Amino acid sequence: MGKDIAKSREKLPYWRRILDASLPVDLSYIPIGLACGILLNASGFNVWTTLMVSVMVFSGGAQFLIASLLATSAPMYSVILMMFFLELRYALLGSSLSKYLHGQSLGFTALFAASMNDENYALNYLKFSTDKKFTPREALHVEHMTLVFWTISNLIGSLIGSAIHIDLTIVHFALTALFLYMIVVQLKNGLIILICILSGLLAAYFMVLTKSTLGLVISTLVASFIGFMVEASIRKYLPNSGLLRHLKNPAGSPDDVDE
Amino acid sequence: MEWNTTQHVWLVLGCFCVAFAPRLIPLLFFRTRKIPVWFNEWMRYVPVSLFTALVVKDIFITPDYVVSIAGRAPEMIAAVIVIGIAYWTRSMAISVVLGLGAVFLLAMVV
Repeated sequence: MGKDIAKSREKLPYWRRILDASLPVDLSYIPIGLACGILLNASGFNVWTTLMVSVMVFSGGAQFLIASLLATSAPMYSVILMMFFLELRYALLGSSLSKYLHGQSLGFTALFAASMNDENYALNYLKFSTDKKFTPREALHVEHMTLVFWTISNLIGSLIGSAIHIDLTIVHFALTALFLYMIVVQLKNGLIILICILSGLLAAYFMVLTKSTLGLVISTLVASFIGFMVEASIRKYLPNSGLLRHLKNPAGSPDDVDE
Repeated sequence: MEWNTTQHVWLVLGCFCVAFAPRLIPLLFFRTRKIPVWFNEWMRYVPVSLFTALVVKDIFITPDYVVSIAGRAPEMIAAVIVIGIAYWTRSMAISVVLGLGAVFLLAMVV
């Protein structure tokens, strides 16, 4: 049965497969992108600068930050500095995808990096780790598909301006749900669950400590490194430990091709 | 201070630079070099750690970086629902759509 599904997917045109793969993010970008466009408009951006920022920065968090900082009278260097700390986590995304993008051309790497963000990284990481046939070119097109949805939503938001009121925290939950989904599908053994809890606690601690999303970077680095060290020690000293035993998957989705 | 369009353009260009550099440098570094095995093993824990950190930020951290659960009941309940849906269906689209629906309804009730 699984094979039949795979076969019927092969028959779909290429753009449809990319659209299908990116759809959850595309759809959640519509309300969030609209809200972001509305806020940017309210903080003084016109349609062209909105177009520029959504294509060149392409990050919901960053664009919301720009909008809110422009509302206060922060000097430009401080906005850019905060942006730098906010965007530093992308270094982690790139590092963890690097094994799938090994040996690509310089131009491809630059193009891929330019439109990578949390959401399409989530899609691509899942695709790469579960589908052996998924190519870097398809991953780039997934990025561009999400970029199209994001940019158009931003522009429409900018054009309708302040005519509509959107409750941001509710709309933003679409992304939270996406990340929760990504966590759940990666919970393959007890150790990963422990690392998850640890990462959550560290994230809260470091974000309060640094008063910025730099805390996200620090907690991710620390929690993932602890996970890696614990796994290595368990494999070495306690090879029969239950911590690394595979958990049951009720939906029976395909196994990780990495293993 | 009222910003004009030229300043907005410079701001976007500046933001592009600081957003692009962290995205590009690791990919560029590992493009041709051999990636060490230990590094790959470490990076396998990055997604799950990062996503958890992002969820914690979205639900428990206020915009001025204080831990607070005040008024976050709809998100917290919806988060539990999403975890259940994701666990049983393994569908990203269903998880996101029902999660958004749940938080919308809960926000009206709670």
